[in-house]
Amino acid sequence: MESLGELERSVMDQLWSRAVPLSAAELRDALADRGLALTTVHTVLTRLEGKGFVRHDDARPRRFAAVASREDHAAELMHEVLGQAADRQAVLARFIGSATPGETEMLRALLADTP
Amino acid sequence: MLPLSALLLGLLALALAWPVPAVLSRARWPRRDPVAALVCWQAIGLAGGLSIIGALLVHGLSPWGGSLPEAWWAWAQHWFTGELPAQPVRGDHWVAQTLAAVLALELLGVLALALVRTARTRARHRALLELLVHPVPGVEARVLDSPVPAAFCIPGARPLLVLSSGMVEEFAPDELAAVVAHERAHLGERHHLLLLPFVAWREALPVLPAADRAHDAVRDLVEMRADDVALRSLPRSAARRTLARAIVAAAEGGAPTGALAAGGGVLTARVTRLLDPPEPLPRWGRPLAVGAAVTLVLAPTLLLLAPALV
Repeated sequence: MESLGELERSVMDQLWSRAVPLSAAELRDALADRGLALTTVHTVLTRLEGKGFVRHDDARPRRFAAVASREDHAAELMHEVLGQAADRQAVLARFIGSATPGETEMLRALLADTP
Repeated sequence: MLPLSALLLGLLALALAWPVPAVLSRARWPRRDPVAALVCWQAIGLAGGLSIIGALLVHGLSPWGGSLPEAWWAWAQHWFTGELPAQPVRGDHWVAQTLAAVLALELLGVLALALVRTARTRARHRALLELLVHPVPGVEARVLDSPVPAAFCIPGARPLLVLSSGMVEEFAPDELAAVVAHERAHLGERHHLLLLPFVAWREALPVLPAADRAHDAVRDLVEMRADDVALRSLPRSAARRTLARAIVAAAEGGAPTGALAAGGGVLTARVTRLLDPPEPLPRWGRPLAVGAAVTLVLAPTLLLLAPALV
């Protein structure tokens, strides 16, 4: 039995790589090697919708698509990580180059000066 | 007449609102012992809040009694009995009571709000990351596809340590190990909890320069502390230089932010103390700092609870 998190990843991977809206049955068939029941696929899709990663249209049967591409999500996340908001809210501990202007040269000189 | 304890609490509050944080944030010794300095900053925050709220409370309740427990009891009773104390209750007493209540509610409320908001943002980031990151062989962290070199961790019950693919590709393996060790130190010592009250209070008291100072000092000190802890888990010979190289490499990869700080920002301070370690504090240094911190918290507590000093 796979964890729901693992299944969510597989479903998102399908939606991202196929790039067209898919019905739950199509997703089940695409993930045939996992032997999922249709209800399981629906559970996973509902969870993903709740998290805001997936939306569906009004066709019959409903077809599901990713809200944004993998790259867009990654870029959005990095934007938040690199931005000032993360600092303001202490959400993350970051290891990034928030050097002040001119500081990079100073740092390089420091590194070069000491053996 | 103003009770002596209210006066002393007020003076303590003033000292903690301006000169004490100013002196500590300019002092050079904190970078020699970040732990001792972090203890001092936590004490300043706690004692500052206690003394300003305490001063207002003691003054506001002074008609009911000279010591806070006694006065509070009599004050609580007067709402039921309707009896006013023998001493006249003036307008400034009511104002002081109200201010104390507002300030206490604001400080605690903002802290609670910061906790909730931070938890919510973290949960969203975690949900996103669980779909986006993937393990990479030989790297002790999850990897997120992004060209900007960056590493970060999401603290919590199941902490998540993430490196960008840009960092994995550009950094040497020993530098990556140093970055991971640094981030693990943040997670292991729960540095986010040390920082959170200062983040909240900076927002609650935007007019108070001390709140800004305290936040920035604590933020920088936990970075230095994480460097110190990281050094312990890295191969001894070149650990300092490797970590310094990693910091500089990250600075080169990222976009410059903020205004130029006098004498360079925290990155310069960190690299300097890695390459040219300052003398550790003398043996009595840390006990002295911790003793001062304990005294700082005890002073307002005793002034509040001890019988009237009038």
